[in-house]
Amino acid sequence: MQWSIAKAFPGTVLCLAVVLSACAGDGSDPAEDTLQAALLTSGPVSDAGWYAGAYEGLLLIEDSLGAQVSHQQTATPAEFDEAFLAYGSSGYDLIFAHGFEYQDAAIRAGSRFPDATIVVSGGGRVADNVVPLIFRLEEGSYLAGMAAGTLTQAGIVGMVGGVAIPPARGTFVAFEAGVRAVNPDIEVLETFTGDWNDVSAAKEAAVAQLSRGADVIIHNLDAASFGVFQAVREAVADGRRVRAIGMNSDQNDVAPDVIIGSAVIYIPQAFLETARRWEAGNVGGEPIYASIREGVIDFVFNPELLGELPEGLVQEIADARDQIRSGELEVPRVRFVEGDDDPPSGGSE
Amino acid sequence: MAEAPAQAVGRMRLVESLVLGAAALALTAGVGAVLLLLGGYDPMAAAAAMVRGAFGSWTAFTSITLVRSVPLILTGLAVAFAFRAGVWNIGAEGQLYAGALAAVWVGLQAATLPPLLLLPLVLSASLVAGGLWALVPTLMRLRLGVGEVITTILMNFVGIYLAAYMVHGPLQERRGVFPQTDALPEAGRLPALLPGTALHWGFALSLLLAGALAVALRYSRFGFQLRAVGASPEAASVAGRIDVGRILFVAFLGSGAIAGMAGGVQVSGVTFALYEDLSPGWGYTAIAVALLAGLNPAGVVVTGVLFGALQAGAGAMQRDAGIPASWVGVVEALVILAVLCLDRVRRRVGKEAS
Repeated sequence: MQWSIAKAFPGTVLCLAVVLSACAGDGSDPAEDTLQAALLTSGPVSDAGWYAGAYEGLLLIEDSLGAQVSHQQTATPAEFDEAFLAYGSSGYDLIFAHGFEYQDAAIRAGSRFPDATIVVSGGGRVADNVVPLIFRLEEGSYLAGMAAGTLTQAGIVGMVGGVAIPPARGTFVAFEAGVRAVNPDIEVLETFTGDWNDVSAAKEAAVAQLSRGADVIIHNLDAASFGVFQAVREAVADGRRVRAIGMNSDQNDVAPDVIIGSAVIYIPQAFLETARRWEAGNVGGEPIYASIREGVIDFVFNPELLGELPEGLVQEIADARDQIRSGELEVPRVRFVEGDDDPPSGGSE
Repeated sequence: MAEAPAQAVGRMRLVESLVLGAAALALTAGVGAVLLLLGGYDPMAAAAAMVRGAFGSWTAFTSITLVRSVPLILTGLAVAFAFRAGVWNIGAEGQLYAGALAAVWVGLQAATLPPLLLLPLVLSASLVAGGLWALVPTLMRLRLGVGEVITTILMNFVGIYLAAYMVHGPLQERRGVFPQTDALPEAGRLPALLPGTALHWGFALSLLLAGALAVALRYSRFGFQLRAVGASPEAASVAGRIDVGRILFVAFLGSGAIAGMAGGVQVSGVTFALYEDLSPGWGYTAIAVALLAGLNPAGVVVTGVLFGALQAGAGAMQRDAGIPASWVGVVEALVILAVLCLDRVRRRVGKEAS
């Protein structure tokens, strides 16, 4: 006889469901006036970078504003709608979707849950309750480029990226501009691996650039950044004088022996600031910009390697930072937000 | 009198099997609980979140569990259909991507057609593309004798990377900014099956298809021939005078077409646009779905919903119990192991009883 699973399993599942729901009880409903904030990431929050910063931001909102918080890591676009649905129908007020990939599902969810506000990091679509949070990381990347242009002895620097989306390309355009501001003759190599989290692909790309003579390499990756640092470390072990530059979060202590500095987004502060603005009723209908002016973007040198910097570099970077803050120096960027022609560089307030 | 000892032995084996099953369940639950405790998480909260996330409300069950089960049922049916004929199609993943790609392409090209024409066109495109994707390994097996396990796996990579290339290049959204296609027009989208939920007509389609396959396999002449070929191609050819090549051809292409439709249904029912990482590996999970169902189409519906519930519950474990994705993955795997153990025990009990 053909054995039929159809007969056996509903029983099993039902038993399991009854037993488990008996001990489940009701989910504790938070007080009406408690801020409920959720975070969606499409990668692990253990990446010491882009996603980790977002998770810290969520915890900061929990600590500072007494919010009830929740996080889900999604794997595919099919899960985006589902996650928004789950949070929207549980009454979450503020949902951080940490990546452009969420934007279409966010627009759909926004019209279904008008009481929720969705903040899409690096997104390009805007609605009344769906706003992009745009990190002007190119400003920090420009400063990193100035540092790289000063430090390179070979006259070749490299950039290893993940997916060539506009915010990522923007950081490289600015990095290149920073390099050329120091010396227009420096050669700049660029590779996009197509994957934010593929460590071995990133390492291969970095090794290739190193073997083409690059001696300073910056990245714009998530978990895959470890591959770049590993490649640089191995080159150092082979006796070469090469350095890496971190990006997205302060990665200086990830590989303190080779990372000269990091172009940083203080994502936690940006999230907290966004949540505060939301509480004041100031989020909606237009993008939120986070830049050097708000103290959310910066370039920070690795304190352990300060000794090997040429004299005056730290001061030059500090001057350039002041010029960017005052608007005197405009960093080239890639525009990608709908209707973005020339927004004020210092935020939309 | 002579039967008494045999019955007693049978009863003892039955008891032994049940004890084994309970032990397997307790062991996996125990291991899961200990792992979660070691990680500093509350196992009861995890279990509660899992059940609530999958079955806890009408919305959770329809909009999450059942929506998740649709691609698993369809690819599961594709795998079961091929495996029954002895065709080891490991390529459902690539066929799914081919189907999704074709569906989006046709849907965007013919965007101005009315719904009555566009939707069937979109779904047919995915069927055809999935079948065509299976054609290469089919011909290689039938003409050159190249094993389909390897060729179908390799075609998966081609499909996945082709989709990635298309969303970065020729099919990229009009603004040319993000790596995705434009969204399908309303007329190319599957309508809601139950109003107010995210459950789309793809679920009904997958049930219909499962029913049709079950009937065809059991009662039709073709179904008999297919099962005969699957049981023993030599015997089918010699004793049954069955054209084995023709049966394998139809089974392989049919399987590819069903997997392709899984991709078409997913883009026209859930995501509405093509993204490069559309599938979390449905084409591979489908093999577990199909095998656990004993390659029985009706069973695939049950195991598909079961896996869908498990994934829905896994999402809720993250959201409501604060357990990180990697831990959730471990718990998910443990549940599948427990189900497999129970499945074995159930079969043994069934055998003893008969």
